[in-house]
Amino acid sequence: MSSAIFYRFRSQKNTSRIFFDGTGITVFDLKKEIINENKLGDGSGFELRLYNNDTEEEYADDTVVIPRSTSVVARRSPPSRGGRSNASRYVTGKPRIVKT
Amino acid sequence: MSKEQEIEDLDTLKFIALGGGNEVGRSCHILEYKGKVIMLDAGVHPAYTGISALPFYDDYDLSKVDILLISHFHLDHAASLPFVMQHTEFKGRVFMTHPTKAIYRYLLGDFVKVTSISSGGNGSGANTSAALYTDEDLVQSFDRIETVDYHSTIECDGIRFTAYHAGHVLGAAMYFIEIGGLKILFTGDFSREESRHLNAAEVPPLKPDLLIAESTFGTATHEPRQEKELRLTNLIHSTLVKGGRVLLPVFALGTAQELMLILEDYWNQHANLEHVNIYFASSLAKKCLPVFQAYVNMMNDNIRRQFRDTNTNPFQFRHIKNIKNLDKFEDFGPCVVVAAPGMLQNGVSRDLLERWAPDAKNSVILTGYSVEGTLAKNLITEPDMIPSQANPDQMIPRRLTIEEISFAAHVDYEQNAKFIDEVDPKTIILVHGESNPMGRLKSALLSKYSKFKGTDNEVKVYNPKNCDEVFLKFKGLKIIKALGS
Ligand SMILES: [Zn+2]
Ligand SMILES: [Zn+2]
Repeated sequence: MSSAIFYRFRSQKNTSRIFFDGTGITVFDLKKEIINENKLGDGSGFELRLYNNDTEEEYADDTVVIPRSTSVVARRSPPSRGGRSNASRYVTGKPRIVKT
Repeated sequence: MSKEQEIEDLDTLKFIALGGGNEVGRSCHILEYKGKVIMLDAGVHPAYTGISALPFYDDYDLSKVDILLISHFHLDHAASLPFVMQHTEFKGRVFMTHPTKAIYRYLLGDFVKVTSISSGGNGSGANTSAALYTDEDLVQSFDRIETVDYHSTIECDGIRFTAYHAGHVLGAAMYFIEIGGLKILFTGDFSREESRHLNAAEVPPLKPDLLIAESTFGTATHEPRQEKELRLTNLIHSTLVKGGRVLLPVFALGTAQELMLILEDYWNQHANLEHVNIYFASSLAKKCLPVFQAYVNMMNDNIRRQFRDTNTNPFQFRHIKNIKNLDKFEDFGPCVVVAAPGMLQNGVSRDLLERWAPDAKNSVILTGYSVEGTLAKNLITEPDMIPSQANPDQMIPRRLTIEEISFAAHVDYEQNAKFIDEVDPKTIILVHGESNPMGRLKSALLSKYSKFKGTDNEVKVYNPKNCDEVFLKFKGLKIIKALGS
């Protein structure tokens, strides 16, 4: 696989990479890969948010494509909204589309 | 003329549970006050592995932490410490009691091996996704851990703290902390009952403004000690008599030593059990034996007297054989095996459970606190089948007797409430308890102190979820001399 995204968890020092083919990867797929790579389970016990390392902006829309070689910061938090909002959709399948 | 004016100063303390908030596991609490940041404990959650087991460290800037106080060696309070010290931006000082540090080295060495193996690694700590840190990390961070004596006040960068005995396990401490005039007491895990080897927790001499207390048992009441021991030995004896085997899953250190003191005593009093073997499957406990002997002076009078009179290690038992694993274990007849881990996630206790579960003559006795999400917690519901470790789709019939007799050394409602009365805080933050028992404890306490509501003596009780920020205002007194005096 020719392309990569660099990521690190917000509290950690070390950076890892997610490899894929193509010029970019969707936020949805990237979160899915990070969850898989770090064996985070079925996603029910946490929320996963991604931020651009330089601008610190959150990638809130799952359908946005992140260009290869971008550096991303991942943040693992408790499930929000009374436990209803968590990362399980990245494991089971349906992207969330943010209406602008 | 000189005048002194007292001015009331409102300072805000911020409390965040990064773990251990409305749950048991991965204890980690942050206190921010007057520019100082204290972290209390750095645990892992026993029901998860890898990063999922960690407190929510991503939700706090760990480089802000000035000091980290570890209450005791249990994994849910200490096991993410090497991760914090080696893999995050944390640059504060770390403190724990002497026996905690001594045991910590062996305990986490064992933890690294166990997590690597169960995640499919080759045991060297090389599987990075599930193993949070390596043995190398442990070694590198070890010397930076500072030790404290009980009752010695340490002053560090404007923060003062003192360790008091918490009972619970060897080396467990409560921390009395003073920052800028504010007094805080963190109980860690504590017990107000003397056990076979430990004293009950102390009541510190000064009263705190804020108490951060464990709430494991909520509003439950413990069975009296003697009754518990009798139930335990009766069940063990009757199982053996009908030809069955008894499994006691335990964490290698703490309750295990209590149980063995009980068993050794019982076997000494029942000559007809002389031929029945008791095994303790834990190489970790064997490594820690010298630590238990070295710190006998921190235990109760009974143990100390026993040590003085016989000059032998009271934790070296005549009737109990220590085994490393099941390789040479001869499973021929009635016996008792005390084995780790306590919640049956994997290892020897799990292997034996799977082997013995189909036979109704056998028994498993759960003596520790079982966390949500573990097999031990599920077992209490007496399922007809249990999943096989090797293949979770394969089910094993469960016919053996299951009994829960808790020797987990935590306060029950009465003990906790009495302690709170003596300590007399005006603000209480509850941690280390599942939502329901913690909620019930909060209600019970608010009800108890309801007559003070709306007065200066009102007692406020909080039970924050993980990462919910709690802001507390405390009135500080400032005395100012008027100019020209
Ligand atoms: Zn504990
Ligand atoms: Zn605990």
